[in-house]
Amino acid sequence: MAELNEQLLRSIITEVVAEMSTKKEEQKISFKETPNETETTSDWFKVIGEAKAGSSRDEVVIAVAPAFAESQTTNIVGIPHKEIIRQIIAGIEEEGLKARIVKVYRSSDVAFVGVEGDHLSGSGVAVAIQSKGTAIIHQKDLQPLSNLELFPQAPLITLETYRAIGKNAAKYAKGESPNPVPMMNDQMARPKYQALSALLHIKETKHVVIGKLAVEIAVTF
Amino acid sequence: MSQETIESLVRGILQEMNSGPVKPVESSASTSGSGTAATAADYPIAQKHPDWIKTKTGKTLEDITLANVMSGALTPEDLKITPRILNAQGEIATSAGRKTISRNFTRAAELTVVPDERVLEMYNALRPYRSSKVDLLAIADELETKYEAKISADYIREAAEHYEKRKKLKGDN
Amino acid sequence: MKSKRFEALAKRPVNQDGFVDEWVDEGLIAMQSPNDPTASLKIENGEVVELDGKTKEQFDLIDSYIARYGINLERAEEVMGISSKELAQKIVDPNISREEIVELTTAATPAKLNEVVGYMNVVEMMMAVQKMRARRRPTTQSHVTNLRDNPVQIAADAAEGALRGFDEQETTVAVARYAPLNAISIMVGSQTGRPGVITQCSLEEATELDLGMRGFTAYAETISVYGTEQVFTDGDDTPWSKGFLASCYASRGLKMRFTSGTGSEVQMGYAEGKSMLYLETRCIYLTKAAGVQGLQNGSISCIGVPGAVPSGIRAVLAENLIAMLLDLEVASGNDQTFSHSDIRRTARLLMQFLPGTDYISSGYSATPNYDNMFAGSNFDADDFDDYNILQRDLRVDGGLRPVKEEEVVAIRNKAARALQGMFEKLGLPKITDEEVQAATYARGSEDMPARDMVADIKAAEDLLARGTTGLDLVKSLATSGYEDIAESVLNLLKQRVAGDFLQTSSIFDKEWHVISAINDKNDYAGPGTGYRLEGAEWEKVKAIPNAINPKDI
Repeated sequence: MAELNEQLLRSIITEVVAEMSTKKEEQKISFKETPNETETTSDWFKVIGEAKAGSSRDEVVIAVAPAFAESQTTNIVGIPHKEIIRQIIAGIEEEGLKARIVKVYRSSDVAFVGVEGDHLSGSGVAVAIQSKGTAIIHQKDLQPLSNLELFPQAPLITLETYRAIGKNAAKYAKGESPNPVPMMNDQMARPKYQALSALLHIKETKHVVIGKLAVEIAVTF
Repeated sequence: MSQETIESLVRGILQEMNSGPVKPVESSASTSGSGTAATAADYPIAQKHPDWIKTKTGKTLEDITLANVMSGALTPEDLKITPRILNAQGEIATSAGRKTISRNFTRAAELTVVPDERVLEMYNALRPYRSSKVDLLAIADELETKYEAKISADYIREAAEHYEKRKKLKGDN
Repeated sequence: MKSKRFEALAKRPVNQDGFVDEWVDEGLIAMQSPNDPTASLKIENGEVVELDGKTKEQFDLIDSYIARYGINLERAEEVMGISSKELAQKIVDPNISREEIVELTTAATPAKLNEVVGYMNVVEMMMAVQKMRARRRPTTQSHVTNLRDNPVQIAADAAEGALRGFDEQETTVAVARYAPLNAISIMVGSQTGRPGVITQCSLEEATELDLGMRGFTAYAETISVYGTEQVFTDGDDTPWSKGFLASCYASRGLKMRFTSGTGSEVQMGYAEGKSMLYLETRCIYLTKAAGVQGLQNGSISCIGVPGAVPSGIRAVLAENLIAMLLDLEVASGNDQTFSHSDIRRTARLLMQFLPGTDYISSGYSATPNYDNMFAGSNFDADDFDDYNILQRDLRVDGGLRPVKEEEVVAIRNKAARALQGMFEKLGLPKITDEEVQAATYARGSEDMPARDMVADIKAAEDLLARGTTGLDLVKSLATSGYEDIAESVLNLLKQRVAGDFLQTSSIFDKEWHVISAINDKNDYAGPGTGYRLEGAEWEKVKAIPNAINPKDI
């Protein structure tokens, strides 16, 4: 696990500040030689067009927040986004359902990313995940800030848990009532990680684009 | 009507006759028919003015007993606050220097007659990006015409104006 | 070479906490940011047309709402003319009455009060809190939750909490759909422990109101407000919807307070470059504007953010104070884990514990922290004796009292059995004798047998679908032989008819007499005045079970 230390914080802050200043510049100058960092997709995570509402009842949407797998590539404790997605998909497929990945731009809030995801999902169920790793299972008929299951303490979520989240989401999509994924609680996560979490979230929020529709993502492992 | 209900109604009426006109009258929702507003000296109402309390079905505080619950004489309706008490509590808050609380209680007094489910729907409709301006104005009209909730209706209209300006209406996100 | 001394220091708990330097442009600054607006106010024809440097056209929803409802305009111009330093001095001066101060401070703008508290150090702020809190007697609130949402444990922990002195108890869920079971379990447990304790269940706003309407809760607190428009929207509300929600609660005779806290806007990514305290001040004004009687503030779940920057814990005390200056009930935080260091978390507590607030903690964990589903509190069940001794050392009323083991065991057992009976009568999943026994002696959920969570969740959904109300709880308690608890739950429901506990800072004693800022008004005016821990209550605080009686030697 990544230790929270001054150096790490400093590097994040420097990065964000650098990003902010480039962003400001971009707003002033309409052309630029190097492509914007946020538009670059990595080799395993590619935007393939606008996300469409699904009609197949056997799909679960995985909705990721704006910086996911692009400007940020690991969660708050350094687990690679690629592995996280791989495990959530595996959990969904274990239940015989299909996973479809979308990226949401209109919000960086995990609940609202989930709401956009479940509205696109053929089954009405979505797993949403922020770049720092916070996850939620959301269903279409719930109030945005309600949920089927919420995993607020990102530093405690292991890859096995991500897989279990995918599996439970698929079960809800099938109309089952699974046992909730066992809740984890570490009362010292806040003093240790909250400031870092805030920084990562600020960083993600810089990539929010009001009004921009979600995009469909193709992944290759 | 059960025997208990009749008894409590009669008791209530008698009490009212004996003690003369009581302050805010339930039907006229807002304030007194009879003069002075409640003050901090009238607080707590449960101890100092239990006679002011009469539920929708005419029950008094004394009727809220375990025996009446067990016999079925008491319904959830009997455990609801009335406009008259909310207005009196608002007057008490004002007399203690807290005018904004009484404004809230005035809206609340109006909302007591709106059914639980509908009041929840109205709240949800006021949340960001849920309603068009027309939707909100329709709720305002419903409050005003169906529930005589004039102040709450204006409050919703005011919200609609602000939502339009600040882009919080349906489709603005 | 490494210094051995530094090596030892590096291992100290405090060095596991996260600290960050200020970052002014992103609002990562506790108070007095150079970007905070200068106080200003212009009134034309009774309408505010300029507020803290913004003209009416520039107002966002929060500015508009505060301008419309949140400031007493009668004396506003006079107050804006008084220097902030002079106002700060008046506030701290015990010779100037609370009433006089409230008239001034409720006529000031957010930026003005933000400036005023900037003149105070923490000792002055504590002096001010002692005078400005609304209720004369201080008290405190608990959290009662567990990792598995085990209802039997919730009831037993709530009973113990009530016995120990908490006047309000709050639960929440690990799994959201458990909510109705948690709500009724904490209610029954609390009434078993001490009649008159009021209970709530923290949830998504609409769900929370729904449970209140059914009679499963008596008050609500997690009605969150935020200091920037974007974060408010991400919180899925607007000032108008929150104000309407406040009226909904009052219309059902339910007590409620809002929640806000420094750091939430930074945490949620949109701080507009303002200091945490300035944004929090806007939340406090919004609470006032909505006509809500009180506020839970003191950073709350975001404490790690102000806690990481310089002067952050001072800002947290300042936000409590500003809420009091606006004549609101204050549940003053101390409800979330804040530090690995026992020294640091105690220092943070003392800011509210010493002067006393309406609720010193808005969630002292009545369970060990591993069961605290608010992600841990600043003080927990394992700290009960430390807390009691702090009260005794300093002769301070922190709201708790020493208890005897046999009393605690008996009350936990009674609550667990009552819940067992009630569950059976309501047709909810069986509570076994083994569970009752375990809950009686448990420290936490590790000591509890597992329940079938799927069956519990289904039953919880069914309970709502069936339209079960508080009266059904009363009936099923009575028919299972717990008439005294049934009576107490009924008394709790009865309070909403009288509405007395809708007034500022209300609690109940065990005879269901309301105690609030109306009939127990804070009258502090210097040494020898105001609330003092004395008489029977001081005797209780003195009587810790493990003190040696000199007569015995």
